[in-house]
Amino acid sequence: MNADQAAVALLGALRDRGMSVREAPPLSLESTHRPWFVSLMLGFAGWLAGFFLLLFIEVVFDVDSSLGWFGLGAALLVFAWAMYFADRNAVFLDQLALAISIAGQFAVAWALLEQVHSEVVVCATLLGIQLAVFAVMPNKAARALATFFAAIAWIYLLRFVIRQGHAGDFFFDAEDRHGPDAARAILAWLFTWPPMLALGWWLTWREHQWMSTPLRTFARPALTGVLMAMAIGPAVTEPFAWVFFGPQSVGMQLGWVAVFPLLSIGIAMFAACCGFRLRSHGLTGFAIFAALLHVSRFYYNFGTSLTWKALIMAFTGAALLGAGLALQRRAREALP
Amino acid sequence: MPHQTTPEVAYSATFFLRILPDCGVFATRVYTPPPMQPKLKRVELDQVAGHYGLDSRGVDVLLEIADARPDRRETLHFLYRMFLLGGLLSLAAGIVFFVAANWSAIAVFGRFALLEALLLACVVLALLRMPPANLGRGALFLAFVVTGTLLALFGQTYQTGADVYELFLTWALLGLPFVMLANWSVASAAWTLVFNTALMLFLGWRPSGGLLWALFGSSHMTVGHLVLAAAWLNALLWIAFEIKRIAAVPEWVRRIVISCAFAFTIWAGVMVVEHNDGWLIELLGSLVAMIAVSVYAWSRRTDIYPLAAAMGSFIIVSMVWLVDALDIEEGGTLFVLALWLIGTSTVAGRVLTVTSRRWRADGLA
Repeated sequence: MNADQAAVALLGALRDRGMSVREAPPLSLESTHRPWFVSLMLGFAGWLAGFFLLLFIEVVFDVDSSLGWFGLGAALLVFAWAMYFADRNAVFLDQLALAISIAGQFAVAWALLEQVHSEVVVCATLLGIQLAVFAVMPNKAARALATFFAAIAWIYLLRFVIRQGHAGDFFFDAEDRHGPDAARAILAWLFTWPPMLALGWWLTWREHQWMSTPLRTFARPALTGVLMAMAIGPAVTEPFAWVFFGPQSVGMQLGWVAVFPLLSIGIAMFAACCGFRLRSHGLTGFAIFAALLHVSRFYYNFGTSLTWKALIMAFTGAALLGAGLALQRRAREALP
Repeated sequence: MPHQTTPEVAYSATFFLRILPDCGVFATRVYTPPPMQPKLKRVELDQVAGHYGLDSRGVDVLLEIADARPDRRETLHFLYRMFLLGGLLSLAAGIVFFVAANWSAIAVFGRFALLEALLLACVVLALLRMPPANLGRGALFLAFVVTGTLLALFGQTYQTGADVYELFLTWALLGLPFVMLANWSVASAAWTLVFNTALMLFLGWRPSGGLLWALFGSSHMTVGHLVLAAAWLNALLWIAFEIKRIAAVPEWVRRIVISCAFAFTIWAGVMVVEHNDGWLIELLGSLVAMIAVSVYAWSRRTDIYPLAAAMGSFIIVSMVWLVDALDIEEGGTLFVLALWLIGTSTVAGRVLTVTSRRWRADGLA
C-alpha cells in the first residue's frame, strides 16, 4: 500500500462515518512526503548557496548603489517565485529557487538598510521582508524559513522598541548600555512570547479548523516556523539580550531576572508538546534539544550565584518530578 | 499486516538471506519495520482535506482515523514522561551547578562526603527498585551524572593537572556500568555524548598525557588518522547496535551515534585539505566510511537517516575541498560553489526522497 492507496482507504472510512466528501478524481500524494532531516539539509544547502550566489553577483557585476541592489534583489525574488510556481516539488528547481530567493532577500535588505543606523528600522524592515516572502513564495519550506526569521526579527524589534531612547544606536556600538533593567525585560518578554505562544497553541489545537480552509497553505509552514522559533528563539537571539543587560553585566548579580532562561525552557517544552500533538518527531526532538541548550544558557548567563542556580534547578526538578508522578497516576487510571 | 509480527525476529530472519547475492536482495525483501510503514503525514493530510473539500468536522474525523493525533492516554503518557525526565535532568543540572559553584563554605571532606553520599543513595535506590522501574532508571542515571561531578570535584580540589578529556574519558569508563544497568535510552544517549566529548577534546588538543596518549603517543598515527579512527569507532558501534537491537539503544540514540561518526568523518575529510603526511588515508578512510554506512543502511532498509548523514557529510567535505582547490576571491569560484551546493543537495534530496517513499510503500506491499 502506498500513500495514495492509504488516502483512498481513509476516504472510505470517512464516508462510513457519514462525513461529507466531495466527489473528485483520485489524488496523487506520492510526491509530497520528505523526511524532516532531508528538508533541513536541503534548506541549509539552499541558504548557503544563496549566500554564495549573492557574493558572486556582487563580485561580477560590481553593484554599488542601493537602487542597483534593490533592483537586483527584486529581480531575484521574482525569478525565485516563478521557479517555485512553475514546477512545485521538483527538488532541483526548489533548491535553485531557495538559493535565488535567499540571495534576493539579502540584496533587498542591503539596499534598504545600507544607510540606516536605527536598529528599530533594521528589525522592522527585516520583519517586513520576511512577511512579504511568507505571503508571496508558493513553497512550504520557503514559508517555514520566512516564518522562523520573521519571528526572530519580531523578538529583536520588540527589544529595541521597548528600550526607548537608544534607537539611533546600532547593536554593540552604544557606550551607554549597561545595568539591568528588569521592568523593560519583563515588558519585552510579555510582548514577545505570549502572542507567539497563543499563535502556536491555536495553530496546533485548532488544526482541524484551518485545515478545512485554504488557510492551510499558509498555516502549516507558519506552524513549523513558529514552533522552531519558540524552541530556539531565545538562544538564537542571545547576544541581543545584552541590549538589556549590557555585555559587562554577564555573570554579575542580577537577582530574580536569572529565572528568564527557565522561562525559555518552559516555552521550548511547550513547543515539544505541540510537536508531539502533531506527531512530528523532528519538531519534538528539536524542541527538547533547545530546552537542553537553555539549561546551559542558564549556567553561563544572567548571573545570580551558581549556588542559587543550583537550588532553583533542584526545586524545579522536585516540582517537575512531583507533577510527573501525579500525571503518571492519571495516565494509569486512563488505561482501558 | 507485517508489523504485527515481532519486528526483530521477522527482520533478523530475512536479513542474512537478503544480503546474500545469490538469494536476490530484492526478491526476498518481505519485511520493512514499522517506522517505515506508510502513514500519511500532515502535508499529505492537508492535500486530502483540500482535494476532497472536507469541512472542519470532516478534518477532525480524518485526523482521528488517520491516527494523526495522540489520544488522551497517549498525551498523558507523553506528559508524565516529559515531566519526570525534565525533573530528573533538572536535578542532575542542580548537582552539576552546585559542584561548579566551588562552595567555599564547606570543607573538602564535606564536599566529597556530600557527593559520595548522593552516589550511594542513588545506588541504594536503584537496588531497591531495579530497572526497568522508573525510579531505578532515574537513580542510575543520576549516579552516572554524580560520577562525573565527583571526578570534576576531584580535579578541582586537588588540581591534578589532568586534561579535560581525561575527565570525560574516565567518566565514560566509570559510568558505563551504571548506564548498562539502567538499560535506558536517555542514559545511553548521555553516555554516547560524554564518550564522544572525550574523543573530541583529545583529538582537538592532542594533549601529551593521559590514557589515550599512552595508547597512541608512541605510534606514527597522525591526528587525521586518529580522527578517522574515532569516526570508524562510532560507525562500528552503530552497525553493532543495528545488528544487535537492544531496547536501551533505540533508533534516536543510534542516530546520535551515527551523527557522531559523521562529525568525525567530516573532520577527517576536512583535514585532507592540510595535505599532511597521511592525507590519502584520511581521504580514502572518509569516503569508505560514507560508502560503507550508506551500503549497510541501504541493506537494512530501516532508517533513511544514515544515508542522509552520509550524503550531507559528503556535501560539506567536498565543498571544503573545492574551496581549497579554487581561488575563493574570484567570482567564478563563488558561482561554482553555489552550483555545486545546489547540484549535490538536489541529487541527495532526490535520492533520499525517492528512497524514503519506496521504503514506505514497501511496508505493506
